[in-house]
Amino acid sequence: MSYFFQLVVSGVVVGSIYALSALGFVLIYKSSRVLNIAHGQLIASGAFITYALAVWVGLPIAVAFFLSMIALFFIAMSVERIFLRRLIGEPIISVIMVTIGLMSILDGLIYLTPFGTYNFSFPEFLPTTPIQAGGVSISWTQLVGVIITALLIGGFSWFFKKSTLGISMRAVSDDQMASMAIGISIPRVFGLAWAAAGFSAAAAGAIIGNITGLNFETLHAFGITVFPVVILGGLDSIFGAVVAGIIMGLIQQFASGYLDGHWGLSGTANLLPYIILLVILLFKPHGLFGIHEIERV
Amino acid sequence: MAVNRWLATGNYFTSYRDEQRIFQTHLDRTIHVAFLLVLFAWPLVFDPGNKAMLVVDNILIAAIAVLGLNLLTGFAGLISIGHAAFVGVGAYTVASACRVLGDSHPLVTHAWPLMLLAAGGVGAAVGAFVGLPAMRLKHLYLAIATLSFQMIFQWVINFMGFFNQGQTIFVGRVRWFTGTVSRDGHYLFWYYVMLVVVILCGYAVRNLLRTRYGRCLVAVRDNDRAADAMGMHPGLTKVYAFALAGFFAGVAGALHAYVYRGAGFESFTLHHSITYLAMAIVGGLGTLVGSFLGPVAIMLLDLGVEDLSKVAGTVFAGAKNLATAFKPLAFGTVIVLFLMFEPRGIANWWRIARSYLKLWPFRY
Repeated sequence: MSYFFQLVVSGVVVGSIYALSALGFVLIYKSSRVLNIAHGQLIASGAFITYALAVWVGLPIAVAFFLSMIALFFIAMSVERIFLRRLIGEPIISVIMVTIGLMSILDGLIYLTPFGTYNFSFPEFLPTTPIQAGGVSISWTQLVGVIITALLIGGFSWFFKKSTLGISMRAVSDDQMASMAIGISIPRVFGLAWAAAGFSAAAAGAIIGNITGLNFETLHAFGITVFPVVILGGLDSIFGAVVAGIIMGLIQQFASGYLDGHWGLSGTANLLPYIILLVILLFKPHGLFGIHEIERV
Repeated sequence: MAVNRWLATGNYFTSYRDEQRIFQTHLDRTIHVAFLLVLFAWPLVFDPGNKAMLVVDNILIAAIAVLGLNLLTGFAGLISIGHAAFVGVGAYTVASACRVLGDSHPLVTHAWPLMLLAAGGVGAAVGAFVGLPAMRLKHLYLAIATLSFQMIFQWVINFMGFFNQGQTIFVGRVRWFTGTVSRDGHYLFWYYVMLVVVILCGYAVRNLLRTRYGRCLVAVRDNDRAADAMGMHPGLTKVYAFALAGFFAGVAGALHAYVYRGAGFESFTLHHSITYLAMAIVGGLGTLVGSFLGPVAIMLLDLGVEDLSKVAGTVFAGAKNLATAFKPLAFGTVIVLFLMFEPRGIANWWRIARSYLKLWPFRY
């Protein structure tokens, strides 16, 4: 039974990071209807910038964490300004392909740095003995990661519910024409959505980097696994991203805990999310909490 | 009025039949035939090495695959981020035959044209199956569904013992009327085979696009609800577009397996899917000629970057594998630049040049 609870705990840990990664993805989609395929690369660069600042420059980890979030804030904002702004109103395939192109460019830039070829791991800055409770153990890094994730998601929810800027962003996602009429600057909202996504991606990257170590392939794969999460939760729902992230984390942990090694199966944690994705798409295309769009000729 | 069938400065259609001609003038046809003859004759005159021939073979494989992708994404408007998986299905059809029958079974080595068709058929079946969600899904959701097919395909190849866990499965040397195709003539032989296949596929697509089944695809792309109102079945049309794309990809995959004499997991990854999509876009979505120009452009870019990074590697000693960094960088930059400045691709330059020549000596 404690094995089960251990899986639940690690599932929630992984799931909350999925939720944080999916959050940035949903932010972009919600406001500008852009499917950002390069999100995994944003997450990876967040992790790498944090590492570079913390280890090579020698800043305290908290400062490095914060600075990398600021850096990604501006990087993502300028990405929107340079590449996506020109493509407003273009067909969907162009927009998707631009983010794919962006993914390649970021890949190339990362391969130019040592992070593309070598593996790094963050120095331990928290106690290394895991916390034990009733046969279940959780490391300090994981615990702090989950707490930061919860704080960030709470902060974003507050931002969207209460602040003027957040409300205007929700207004744009609801009806662009009407929000222009009441004086909201749409390009500014798009830029801010990307900036917020970059901000959360940096946080997600730094947390993943601390838990799993810095390997470009792993971080890259994280960006792809975000797709099943956002589809399960509904592409435009922040709450859905959180719920779906945790569900997906639990499913992956249970799959690798109970399915692998039986009946000749292995690596099912990488397969199940996509099967769930297909099932969801077939039976409930707008996810658990997504808004159903009505189309007219 | 006697119409000049050799040179026409402008359009003089008097019937719909005229407009549907593949070659508008005799000059067009002559140039086309001459170009095909050059394609057949040049290896006899220049004697390219095996290395150059492999590049040309790669371009032709990609051209067949992109032809299918262009039907799906360009003409039917369905975005697929899983095309390399369809190509992989074709390659693994041949590989499975080798696995079950042994890699020099007569069916594999003698009846390879049949194997190509079989791979195409399996590709079409898998394509239609993967296309089933298209009955309900659109745009982004469909793109993600094809992405998940790509991931599932990779898992199946990587973790199933039958597929050798993604390691290369060998395919035997094929036989032709003159005997077993030798090592020296291997790439040249497959160049001619693929040239014939590409020409057949090109004509098939060109003809398809002037029948009701081809026009159906375009109608569904432009507005599927309006197409529905006009009596087409958008869902079935989409599934059929996926089957078509799967067929071309399957043939391309089988050719890939034969040319490389084996099928391995690393040729059919997500990265390759994205490359096919980039080829279609750089060539020009929704144009036939773009399906051939795109693969040429992207493959040559890849080669150019590889050479450049070799040169750069000698200048900056220390930087070891600049190619791994420069390749995605150049690839991404080219895609982004094309989308921002020439979304209709190289085919648009081709169109401009043609209409300039057609109207010459007048400007318009």
